Amino acid sequence: MTKKEESMDRERFANLLDAYGADFRRWPAQMRAEAAVFAAQNAEAAALVAEAHRFDAVLDSARDDSPVSHDLAARILAGAPRAQRPAFDRRALLALAACAVFGVVIGYGGGMLAPAPAEDDSYFSMAFEAPSAFEDEG
Amino acid sequence: MIDPDADLVRSAGAGDQRAAEALVRRHLPKMVGVARRMLSDSAEAEDVAQEVFLRVWREAPRWKPGQAKFETWMHRVALNLCYDRLRRRREKTDPDAGIAVADTRPLASDEWLARQRAAKVHMALAALPERQRAAIALVHFDEMSNIAAAEILEISVEALESLLARGRRALKAALADVAQDLMGGAEGGS
Repeated sequence: MTKKEESMDRERFANLLDAYGADFRRWPAQMRAEAAVFAAQNAEAAALVAEAHRFDAVLDSARDDSPVSHDLAARILAGAPRAQRPAFDRRALLALAACAVFGVVIGYGGGMLAPAPAEDDSYFSMAFEAPSAFEDEG
Repeated sequence: MIDPDADLVRSAGAGDQRAAEALVRRHLPKMVGVARRMLSDSAEAEDVAQEVFLRVWREAPRWKPGQAKFETWMHRVALNLCYDRLRRRREKTDPDAGIAVADTRPLASDEWLARQRAAKVHMALAALPERQRAAIALVHFDEMSNIAAAEILEISVEALESLLARGRRALKAALADVAQDLMGGAEGGS
């Protein structure tokens, strides 16, 4: 607290009244009680307060506390951030993608590991070309 | 420094709609209010408030509590948007553009007088330098503490008091007739 704030005199009182008006609730918190006492004990200060009250009333005649448009809040909220999709979805997608890659790798790799087709397919052809031999034995 | 909005901002940034709604409930009227005092135009004030929240949604996911409270930051954004609009207005030729003017439709005499007074006060406020107007908007109309208002305007409390005093003195001079009118009493109506 500065020295200026510690003591209330006519000049300091008038300066604060000029700045904050007649309602001591608008005054600096640490000055309110002292200002009220000063005004109560000093006729000149009381007259200044009465004048300031009249000016405050002039200002208050322009007070516009009408409610805001009913759709303004809705318009504002429409632009509010939305929660992101749950992390589970992203994990599930990643797992699905990994499965697909795994499937491709296994499919391709499995093909590479399978035995090469036999060059001599005589066993296969013989199975169909010699039915008569069995008939003769019978 | 404890920021009462920190949790809400974090949650809203992560997509929590309830947190976003709570932020709007808590701060929308204040943002509209300060923009109304600065611009004297309700529709434009709502545009400013909407723009403030667009920036809130953009910043919320990466908001880190720092030197200023979230509400202080919001007020600074709102005031800067108002300053921009006022600057654009000044560039136009009509000095009264966007300033509320009393309705000329026939009204009950009290209501007509009240509107006339309000229009005069709005015009006098609009004629003040921006920083003086902002100081009066925050401290008188929004009833903010001197410390909070000084923080928003990024000045010392002493500088805030100087802005307030100069602004109020200028308004007093400009509105002497309105004060007389009010003192004359409602029964006279002139």
